[in-house]
Amino acid sequence: MYKYFISICLLFVFAENFSQEQKKDNIIPQEKDTVVYKTNYGLRLGMDISRPIFSSLYSNYNGLEIVADYRIKKNLYIAAEIGFEEKTSIEEKTSTEDLLNSTSKGNYIRLGLNYNAYDNWLDMNNEIFVGYRYGFSLFNQTLNNYTTNVSDVENGPYFPAVINNIGQTSTSLNAHWSEFMIGVKAETLHNLFIGFSFSYKLLMSVKDPENFKTLFSPGFNRIFESNTGFGINYTISYLIPFSKK
Amino acid sequence: MKKNILFLVLLTSIFAACEKDDFCIQNPVTSRLIIDFYDDTNRETLKNVQRFSIIAEGKTDSLFVNTTSNSIAIPLNSLTQETRYTLKKNDENGAEVDDKIATFTIQYDTEEEFVSRSCGFKVIFNNVAFSSDTNGWITDFTPTTIINLDDQSAAHVQIFH
Repeated sequence: MYKYFISICLLFVFAENFSQEQKKDNIIPQEKDTVVYKTNYGLRLGMDISRPIFSSLYSNYNGLEIVADYRIKKNLYIAAEIGFEEKTSIEEKTSTEDLLNSTSKGNYIRLGLNYNAYDNWLDMNNEIFVGYRYGFSLFNQTLNNYTTNVSDVENGPYFPAVINNIGQTSTSLNAHWSEFMIGVKAETLHNLFIGFSFSYKLLMSVKDPENFKTLFSPGFNRIFESNTGFGINYTISYLIPFSKK
Repeated sequence: MKKNILFLVLLTSIFAACEKDDFCIQNPVTSRLIIDFYDDTNRETLKNVQRFSIIAEGKTDSLFVNTTSNSIAIPLNSLTQETRYTLKKNDENGAEVDDKIATFTIQYDTEEEFVSRSCGFKVIFNNVAFSSDTNGWITDFTPTTIINLDDQSAAHVQIFH
């Protein structure tokens, strides 16, 4: 049966032919559209508005980010973000005891390219883009307090744990990472853009504090166990037009 | 169409990389002391301790009560440099007059080491030394010292009775 499988398949093959053709001289030659819609080229400056919002919502977070991009080709932009972030990460053991409580604080820069994959209609200037960034951050991390993990899952702790409130700060830590972005930008008013993007980050290298780990890097966000991270941006930016092409 | 595929690949890679690191799967994080009980006359064979109970000095709750076992794992107190356990066994029928008592003392230095975000810091016990009362039911134990206590794969000390 299987031996003839391909042959059986061939039974159902049929060819379809059509024997009439449209005469070529019946077609009216169409004139090519010569109107070229020009869009603005220039420097776009703005800020991330999600960070001030999160700063006011959460007491353990402070952040600010300036964003900029410059259009070099029809679909290609050079983009950069510079910012400051401070975040206290708390791993709770119980509601009163913290397993780990640490604060990261520092500055970062992200540099890269955005490619606009959206075909604009007429002279519109919206974007659905994919982007790449190289990120670098310089920061301090303070281990505010921690409790040693001496309990076991079944019975809980037999002896009390050491609660440590030393507050040791590790200075001049740094992180390098790669970032892949996907996002949208829409021109809501003339030359004023609102954008939203989501990014996936891969840590390339990080300097960890001695006998501890960098749990949060400014610009990178929380560093997961596999050295990956996620981020979002919600930006408002203004385009300073240099030329129209 | 090409662009759609590009987005799809990007989205899949994003969600495929999602993971949970909120749960500490290591148990216990801080190593416990594993004791195996051997027969005193026939030193290669494990021997069960009958109706065994163990309690640390200064505690009111026992770790094990009236269990029969030849291997136990007990925690050490990381706040002090010494943990003293009182071990009770009863080879007879369980009557209180037949209870036999022994003490086992562990002395050590402590060191804290970071494990991970969800597991936090563990305690490593260094320069661990064991000692036991001479008038108890523990006739012998080996070794008397170990360099550090930071793994759970094998027994750390053998007690003969």
